[in-house]
Formats: sequence, C-alpha cells, structure tokens
Amino acid sequence: MSSPTWRLSWWLIRAQFMTRRTATALSMLAIALGVSLGYAIHLINDAALADFSQAMKSVQGEPDAVLAPRDSSGHVPLALVDALAKDEAVALAVPVIETRVRLDDTATTVRLIGLDVFSAALLMPKLMPRQSGPEGATTNIFEDGVFASPALLARLNARVGAGVTATRGAARWTTRIRGDLPAVRGDELLLVADIAWVQAHFGPREGVGEVRLRLAPGVRPATWIATWSARLPAGLGLRAADDNLARMSNVSRAYRVNLNVLAMVALLTGAFLVFATQLTAVAQRSTQFALLGVLGLPPRMRLAQVLVEGLAIGIPGAAAGLGLGYGLAVLFTRLLGGDLGGGFFAASSPVVVPELAPALGFFVLGCGASLMGALYPAWLNRVQPLAQALKTGFAQLAPAAAAPRRGRQVALALVAVAAVALTRLPAIDDLPLAGYTAIALVLVLGIAAAPAATRLVFGALARTALPAPLRVAVQNILQAPLMAQVAASGLIVSFALTVSMVTMVSSFRTALDHWLDDVLPAPMYMRSKGVPLPADMLAALEQAQSPFARVERMATVMLTLDPRRPPVALLVRELDRADPAARLPFTGAVLAAPPGRITAWISEPLQELHGLAPGQTLRLPLLGREVEVFVGGVWRDYARQFGAVVIAAADYRALGGSVAATDLALWPRPGQEDAAGLWMREQAARHGIEGASSGEIRELSLSIFDKSFAVTYALEAAAMLIGLFGLAVTLAASVWLRARELATLSALGFDRAMLGRAIVFEGALIAVIGLVLGLACGIAVGAILTHVVNPQAFHWRMPLQVPWTQVLLGAALTLAAGMGASRFAARQATRLPAAQVLASAQ
Amino acid sequence: MQRRSFLLTPLLLPALAAARDAPRYAVASRATRLAFPRDHGAHPDFRTEWWYVTGALDAPGGGMGFQLTFFRSRPGIAEELDSPIAASQILFAHAALTRPGQRLLHAERAARANLGAGFSTTDCEVHVGAWSMQRSGAGADEHFRLVAQDAAFAFDLRLTPTQPLLLQGEGGWSQKGPRPELASHYVSWPQLRVGGRLVIDGKAQEATGRAWFDHEWSSEVLAAGAVGWDWIGINLDDGGALMAFRIRDAAGNTLYAHASLRDAGGRLTRFGPGEVGFTPVRRWTSPRNGALYPVQMEIRVGPHRIETAPVADDQEISARRPLPVSYWEGLVAIRGTLAGRGYLELTGYAGALRL
Repeated sequence: MSSPTWRLSWWLIRAQFMTRRTATALSMLAIALGVSLGYAIHLINDAALADFSQAMKSVQGEPDAVLAPRDSSGHVPLALVDALAKDEAVALAVPVIETRVRLDDTATTVRLIGLDVFSAALLMPKLMPRQSGPEGATTNIFEDGVFASPALLARLNARVGAGVTATRGAARWTTRIRGDLPAVRGDELLLVADIAWVQAHFGPREGVGEVRLRLAPGVRPATWIATWSARLPAGLGLRAADDNLARMSNVSRAYRVNLNVLAMVALLTGAFLVFATQLTAVAQRSTQFALLGVLGLPPRMRLAQVLVEGLAIGIPGAAAGLGLGYGLAVLFTRLLGGDLGGGFFAASSPVVVPELAPALGFFVLGCGASLMGALYPAWLNRVQPLAQALKTGFAQLAPAAAAPRRGRQVALALVAVAAVALTRLPAIDDLPLAGYTAIALVLVLGIAAAPAATRLVFGALARTALPAPLRVAVQNILQAPLMAQVAASGLIVSFALTVSMVTMVSSFRTALDHWLDDVLPAPMYMRSKGVPLPADMLAALEQAQSPFARVERMATVMLTLDPRRPPVALLVRELDRADPAARLPFTGAVLAAPPGRITAWISEPLQELHGLAPGQTLRLPLLGREVEVFVGGVWRDYARQFGAVVIAAADYRALGGSVAATDLALWPRPGQEDAAGLWMREQAARHGIEGASSGEIRELSLSIFDKSFAVTYALEAAAMLIGLFGLAVTLAASVWLRARELATLSALGFDRAMLGRAIVFEGALIAVIGLVLGLACGIAVGAILTHVVNPQAFHWRMPLQVPWTQVLLGAALTLAAGMGASRFAARQATRLPAAQVLASAQ
Repeated sequence: MQRRSFLLTPLLLPALAAARDAPRYAVASRATRLAFPRDHGAHPDFRTEWWYVTGALDAPGGGMGFQLTFFRSRPGIAEELDSPIAASQILFAHAALTRPGQRLLHAERAARANLGAGFSTTDCEVHVGAWSMQRSGAGADEHFRLVAQDAAFAFDLRLTPTQPLLLQGEGGWSQKGPRPELASHYVSWPQLRVGGRLVIDGKAQEATGRAWFDHEWSSEVLAAGAVGWDWIGINLDDGGALMAFRIRDAAGNTLYAHASLRDAGGRLTRFGPGEVGFTPVRRWTSPRNGALYPVQMEIRVGPHRIETAPVADDQEISARRPLPVSYWEGLVAIRGTLAGRGYLELTGYAGALRL
C-alpha cells in the first residue's frame, strides 16, 4: 500500500476504536484471555517439567539407562551389578539404594539415598557429601553416619555432629550427622549415606535398589538395552534415560490437554467477539466504505481494511495475553507449585522461564484468531454493492439463505452422523482427539441450525396476530436475519459450553460422592506416605485394650508394567477373598477364580489402559518374578488415574511377600469412639502420619475436587459474559442499522415504549433461540465429555447427571440479562430524534 | 615394595592414621612359604596389595610402553558392618600408555569389592568394572590376560611366561626398611612375552613386546621420615632381570635400598643397602606442577653402572582417585654395563605426599 492508503487505513482504525471503545476493548480482552490461558499453561508445565528433570538430574544424574526392579519392593541382585560393571559397553555402573525413613519419630520423613561414592561421584556429583567434623575430618563416608541436605538440617534444627535415628517399619538406625550436602538444591529434604550402611539397616539384603548406567562412547543405548533386556530376570526392567521424562510428562498430559482445549475455547470466543464487532462495524460504516469505493478505493482494499482492523485488535490483545499469561504462570507457580492444580508435581516450586519460540507461537495464534473473526465481515465488505450501500446502507445477503437447500440439509445430516461416529472412536495416542472433534462438530451443528430455527420461530410468529410493533420486529428479522443469527450463535456456543461443563462437573461430583461412600467403609483411617507405619504403633493395635474392634491393614507396592507409563499401584489388602465386594465398588460382575489361581481385582483406569476384562489373566511383576493372576473384577477408582490392582494380603504372603502396612482402616469398639479418635490423633501427631475420620476425608476430597474445578467455573462465567456481550453488540448494531425504519415508525405514531417493547421482544426471541439450541448442544457436549473424553483422557467413567436446576436457572438469568441488553439497545436507538434521523438519511 | 604402598596409604584413606580401633592386619612373615597359584590370588587380611604389570612394546618408530595396575586396599573401616558391600575392601586400577614423544595416556578406575569390583583368593583374578587381570592355564599354556579400555585407548593383552617366577627377598619375603617389621611379600615375573591388541584413538594394532609382572602384599612397609622412592625394574636384552629401589627422606638421602639381579642363566644375586646407589644426572621439570624429576639417573648395583634414558620426558601421571597425586612412571632405555628396557618410578617429587 502507498503511504496515503496507510494513512487512510490508520485513520479508519482510529475512528473505529474511538467509536466502539467497549466492543474493541472486550474483543481484545477475550483474545488476551485465550492467549494468556494457553500461554500460562504452557509456561507452567514447561517450568514444572524442567524443574522435575533438573531435580531428577541432580539426584539421579544423567544416566543412559537405569536397571530397576519392576516391583518397588524388589531389588537388583549383586551378581547382576557385577555382571553389568564387567560389560565393556558399560562405562560406569552406579548402584543406589533409595528409601524413605522417619527421623527420630518426628513428623519428618525423608529420602535416604545410599551411595557408592566411587561410582556416584562421576554421575551424581551434586549428591557428594562434605564432611565437616570438628577439628579436621576424622571420618569419611564409608563409616557409620549420614550427610544431610541444607534444607533438612534447617528443618531438624540440627547441626553437623548431632545424633539422629532413622526408622522404617521395624528397622532402625541410630547414627550421627557427619556432614552436609552442599550442592543439593535448597528445598530438597534428603540424607545421603554409604550404600552398605543403608543396606545393612534397611535392606535389600542381597542386592541394591537400582543401577544407573553410563554407556561407553559409541554404544547405542537402544541396542544395548534391547540386548540386555532379553537376558534379565522377569522382575527387572531396563529403561532408557528419557523414559523418566516421558513418564512424568505423561502424568499430567491429559489434564494439560484438557486445559489447553479450554484455552482454545477462550480464543475462539475471542474470535467470535471480533467477528461480531467487525460485522457491526462493517454494517455501520457501509455508507462510508461505499463512498470511499466510489472515490476509487478498490474492493480488495475494502477487504484488507477490515482484516487490518481485525489484526489491530489481535496484536495488542495477543501481546497483552502474553504478558498476562506470564504473570499468571509466575503467580500460579509461586502459590501452588507446578502442578496446574492437578496435584501431580507435589512440593516443587519451579521457575518460569519464557522462551521466544513458544511466545511467538501463542502471539500468532492470538492474531490468527482475530483475523479469523474478521474474515467474513471483510468479505461482506468487499462484496457490498456500492450504489445500494450509498443509498440505503448495509445490504444483507439474505435471499440466498432464505430458501433452505437440500444440499445444506444433507451436509448437516452428514455432520451429525460424523459427530456420532467420532464418539465411537478410541483415543488416539492416549488423547480423546476424536471426542474433542465431535464436540466441535456439535457446536458447528448448533450454529448451522440457527438460521433454520430463526426462520421457524419467526415464521410462525409472523403468521400469528401480533401487535403492530412486534410484527414489525418479527418481519424485520425474517427478511434480514443475519444479525439475529450472529447474536444467536454467540449464545448457542457460550451456553452450550457452560451447560456441558456444569453437566460434566456435576456428573463427576455426584459419582465421586457415591464412590467415597463405597470406599470409606471404616469410620477412621490412618496413612503414612511412603514409609511403613511404625512397628510399635501396629503392636499397640494388637493389644487387648486397644479401642478398636477391627483393624484392616493395607500396603502399597508400585509396579512398572510399562517403563514409559507411570507405575501402577498394587494394593495389598486384608479383605475377604470370598466377598471382595464388601470393600471394593465393583462396576460389573465379580468372578470367582478357578481353584489354585490368585485373584486380582483391577481398577477401572487399569482396565481402560490395558484393555483387560474380568476372567482374563494379568501378568504382574511381583517379588522378582512374573506372576499370573486371575482378573476377578473391575472396581471404580477415582483416586489413581494410572491404574491400581488389589490382591488379598493372604495371597501376597503366600507368594512370599511381606506386608509392610502403610494404611489402616479402623473400626472403633462401640462406645469407645472418643477414645479411639483421641488415640488416633495422638499417634498421628507423634509419628507424623495422617489420621482422619471418613467424614473428614470425604470433605477434604470434595473440597479438593471443587478447588481443581475452580478454573472451569471461571471460564464458564467468562463464556456466558462473552455470549451476552455478543448479543448486546449485535442487537445494538441491528437497531442502529434500522434507525431510519424506527424513525419512520415513530413518525407514523409509534411511541417510544412501543418501539422499546418491540426491540426487547426481538432480543428475547433471539435469546430463547440461542438458549434452547445451546442447551441441546450443551447436553450433547456434556455427554461426550462424560462418556468419551473423561474415560479416554483420565480412564474413569461416571453416569451422566444433568443438573437441571442450575442449568434452567442459568438460562433464565441469561434470558433476563439478554432482555436487559436489548432494552439498553432500544433506549440508544429510540433516543435519537426521529426528524433528524429521517433528515440525515437523505 | 614401598613404592606403591607409599602411594596408597596416604592417598586412599587419610583417615587411617587416626583409625580408632586399628584392625588386625596380617603381618608379612619370613616364615611364610608361598604356594602358587594360590598366592597369585588376593590376601585380603593384609592392608595393601597390588598386581603391577609394566611393559615395553615393539612399535615402529621407537619404544612404546604400557602399564596396568590393580590395587587392593583394606582401609580398616566398616569391618564390623553386616553387609556384603561394606567398603572394607576397595580396588583401584590405573592404566597408562607411553607413546614416544607424546603425552602419556592415563586412565583410572575405582570400586569396592562386591560392587563393581572383585578379586579371587585362589588365583590372580582381579577386576574393576570391565578392566581385568587374570591368570589361567598351566604349563606352556599358562598366561595372563590384561583388559582395559578408556575413551582414548584400550588394550587386550596376553602375557606368556618365558622364565620361572622370581621370588624377591628371602623366598618372597622382602624387607623394606631398617627394621624387620617393615616388610612385604613380593613376587616378580620378568620377561613375559606380550601379544595382543592395542587400540589408540579408535585405531587397532597388533602389540608385541616384553612385560614385567609384580605382585606384592603387606601391612606395614614405611620407615619413619620417608617422603618417596625411586624404583626400577628392567628386562635385560640378554634375558636377565634387574630390580632396584631406594627410599628417600626429605633431604633426598637414602633411608633404605635393595636390588636383585637374575642373569640370563638364572643365577640370582641380591644387593644390600650399601651396594645400591641412585644418582640424578638430568632433571625434567613438570610443566603442570613444577616438580623436578630425575628422569635420567645413574644407578649403581654392585659392580654394575647403568644410566636411564626416558623414551619421553613427560611420563608424569596425575591421578585423581582416590585423591589427587602426581608421580613419574615411565619407560626408559638402559645403557651401561647392562642393557635393556625398564620402567622407572619416581615418587615424592611433586610436593609433599601427605602421610
């Protein structure tokens, strides 16, 4: 463009922004919101993953491969460590024993890492201890003693030289803090000691926990791993270094994708707002554009101008979004850590580091959304017939759409069929991509149905005997439905999203509520994360004077079924093998195992992930070997997204396992509830373990649930506001466009109240169409979210539960707000003196 | 030989000097009768032990030398600990390669027994990771296999005896100082024929040459006031073998010295402190730490006068594990009344070794 054209363009943009300040600002805000949400999710997750991998590197080093038992209670035999070390392809084999211990019966449990300094110094230099004994070092790491991280020393308020007792179940090590770990990150609570001392006190007797390996230069890790894997005993697995990160990334992947879809929704609403704003802008300025056209502005310039205006909204919006997203990410990580509210990366406080490429990507996405919104208005502006526009203003291209064509109906039917078909498809790469596409198709269907619905409703009304002003309104929309359709589709989309979210959340919450009833049969629970419960406490429960009538113990072992997936929890429970349904909420039939077979009851997520069915055989890496178990049933589990297996403690013992209980379910003796509660609280405080009544657990679970869905509620509110705003803007524009007509009517004797009623009536009708279609789409989308997206992304199922009260209340409120918006538009329009309007029209 | 225990004791475990409950170490006794192959194996009751192979390779363009050493140390810690991987026996290994006119290639490994390293008590069979030294076979098939590999070099050598074992001192009991308690058990095997494969910077080549095997174990060898030692072992061109060492004090004076010469006919002659002398002829300054090494030395053993000519001046080894230490150990040509190729070791020149 030449410089005068630029100047013209700039002048038009400025005029546009000045006259439509609120609309422009809101469009920018919506774009900014979409960009910021997506960008913040990206930043937080990136930071959390970087933080995780850095923490892992400092503690684990950067091995090429890790040999570990597939069963968290297993070990790597010493002979195998030696065999690995002797392999010429292995440059370095670093044996490690890592466990969790309780310190001095305090509330502190810490990681205790047993190292062999000879090998570990090269792979994990950050874990190297510094001995700082009094008057020069008289000890070294090979002797009795532990080395504490700075954070742990601070937590214990202890100094080097202090005595310390570490316990794990019945095992106990009384020793001394010989020095510190100067290179360990500030927030890590850990102890390092010589591997032999850890082994002597906490086992494993004839092996080590895992072996981290560096391969010799020139050795291809994948080939080497494949060769060795074929020779390993069933209980052991070799994983490549990047499996760890892949696994961590998988942990939060589905959750993240869901949030990103929400961000896309925000961005799309932004695009819709730009669309509504630009459409009205084009309509309102059609005379000016026509004049410019007559003066020589080519049609493609008219097209470009609207697009440039779209960009002018998109660029500041996207830029503000980046800033906002960064701020959000920083705030979020400071307040809540890097887990995006999902509880995945506990206890990390990652640092957000923005990089250029992703920032540019999100910026382009924001601009793209606003360009997309401006596309149709721009095209409309290009094809305006100049002469007509000069005389009578904006010309709608309605006639073509007036008669429904068969092709269009067929297309819509095809879209509907496709949407249904997509919901039948399985997850792609573990993500419910087909489900998301089906949701998009449902929304497309809703919007596409708007013209037909408009015609239907207003056509029917046109045939009834209405007062003249209302009839005018009805006829007006029937003849020129574009604005009404735009307003209605905004409402359709926003209300559909709101209804679907509310439906999904409500279904989930109801299901969770029922599930909590089923899984918390005991009045009290105690749990010690990662460390077996103290032996003396368990012994006290065996005493005759204990206030409990019944105690059920549970131990958890993590099993690696697939090295690239998070491990599966094996829950070893004291339950009645003949009646597992007394403790587990089964979703279907419970089968009895054939004689001599061990039964396992798998959780719903495990069933989804591994495609298992009751009656089939599952191979579990248990106690150093592969054990075949009979799948006796599937139970509902909303707590462990990556799968869980329950087996009876008696069976586990029969296999040779020992049950180191970490969880207790407690039934107080009748009449001794208070004493039992007191006992539990006292023990919990003494040993630093968790104890709670089933009511408290239930309350806590539901409040966590509500908190983690808080973001969704906020988005719903934002979507509704945007939909309403779209309605107000388009209504105001359509009224403005009809200023002459209204002035004529008023000259003919219509008073203001009559005109106002007509406009409010029109707004209400549009809102009703939008809400009804939105409700239908919303329930469909909610059903897809509940029955397709949730099982595929999170592997849990639940019955659909539409919260009618909330939904209808929301609809009524929206309708009222929509009528309020149209009243406002009406007042704007009828305030103009009719004579002036009529005069200026000539 | 003091030479290696000197290296080991201070380096390995500075704590040992102050060890509270001194462990009961076995003592080298004159009465012990060595038996083989059992005594080729480890003696874990002693504090220190090493299997030391040095050799000269026939390479085009001049002398090439190699060295592979395994050290076993019983530091006297964690001995009561009920764990198979207690750090009560620790193994270290050094490998080096001398190329004429070039910087020495050097690598090292360390691990505790049962956790990446191990030894046999019935024969020479010791490894640290994938590095190993193993004796096997009998009669004409008897041989040692030496395997070591690092980023820059690797070798896989077969050493075949051409002569009987040489028991140093009195039947393998070797006195190390003025007091008789300062002694070790010391077995040498000179004139081993070398064959095998050598890889330098990814290029493989055949290796042939002559090597010298030392196996020595002791619990206490150091005289008070000693700061270092000079040691040499020479495969003579005529098939004979000469070993000589002296222990120095801070002023450079000899605290103790000894030598043995087995001629081509197999006659063994021992030389006491008065018959052995080391006189520096030319010193080389290490560019890294400024240490002055008498790389060219005149050595007097009884009636013999020989002079060392290093194939490269810079054969200094800077080891980092278990603690940083620098010493000179390298291939030298021998001129004088005897001729051959040998390994000269000079320690205690690069600053004070902490004791």
